[in-house]
Amino acid sequence: MTVPMSAYLVLSIVLLGLGMLGVMRRRNPLLLLLSIELMLNAGNILLIGFSRQWDDPAGQIFALVVMVVAAAEVVIGLGLVVAVFRSRMNLDVDEMSSMKG
Amino acid sequence: MGEQVTFAIAAIGAVSFGIGVVFFKDAFRAAVSLIGTLLSVALLFIVLMAPFVAALQVIVYAGAIVVLFLFVIAYLGERNEVPGRDRLDAMQAVGWIALLGIAAFGVIAALDSTIGPGVPPPTNTDVGSPAAIGHAFLSDHIIAFEGTSLILLVAAVGAVILAKRAVQLEGGR
Repeated sequence: MTVPMSAYLVLSIVLLGLGMLGVMRRRNPLLLLLSIELMLNAGNILLIGFSRQWDDPAGQIFALVVMVVAAAEVVIGLGLVVAVFRSRMNLDVDEMSSMKG
Repeated sequence: MGEQVTFAIAAIGAVSFGIGVVFFKDAFRAAVSLIGTLLSVALLFIVLMAPFVAALQVIVYAGAIVVLFLFVIAYLGERNEVPGRDRLDAMQAVGWIALLGIAAFGVIAALDSTIGPGVPPPTNTDVGSPAAIGHAFLSDHIIAFEGTSLILLVAAVGAVILAKRAVQLEGGR
């Protein structure tokens, strides 16, 4: 008896909820990006799981593309965080609302 | 039996390290906790017979992305977290409603007879092997492959421009 797909579904929803909770209660933009990584991983679990269930490599392709998008997002996000917080001192997303120049 | 035990270990690890990511006050600890979640998810990928994606998960995510996070956290140092003024309550409510909808859809899907406990996945497949993934990438999904390279190029150029502007702001060359 193998692990049913529904177990992976439940795990993925739990991880997605945790990531969303993190995005909502964190104010530090670095930790916000960490929570987004958590949500992306929840999606990847489902993509790989259904790829296995339906014997189709497309799900694995999607998961790899998601990984590349996550890497690009982290590079740009961290670049923005560093650029903003060299000039301003607090780590607070609300203070980033006026980004000019 | 072994598959179920491995799944249980990986699932418990992923959720408990994920709780650490969300609730640790220290940014450094949260980032290290994310490594635990990523390795647990890689273990799940191995259970799902996707060894190539599992290897990339360890190399790209745990090896590159989290190390970048740790560099930036060490570079910016300890900052005080200011108490919030505007919690955007209405948008949070919308977010929770969306999550509830996703959860309801997930429960409906989990009760579906085609993926429920009674249906075993096909055995002896090789969809997760590097050869199968490479073939799929270069035949059916060539546009996704090229788009991936474009995304990486844009990210690299954007990072260089952001860093250059930050250096200029400090009066460097």
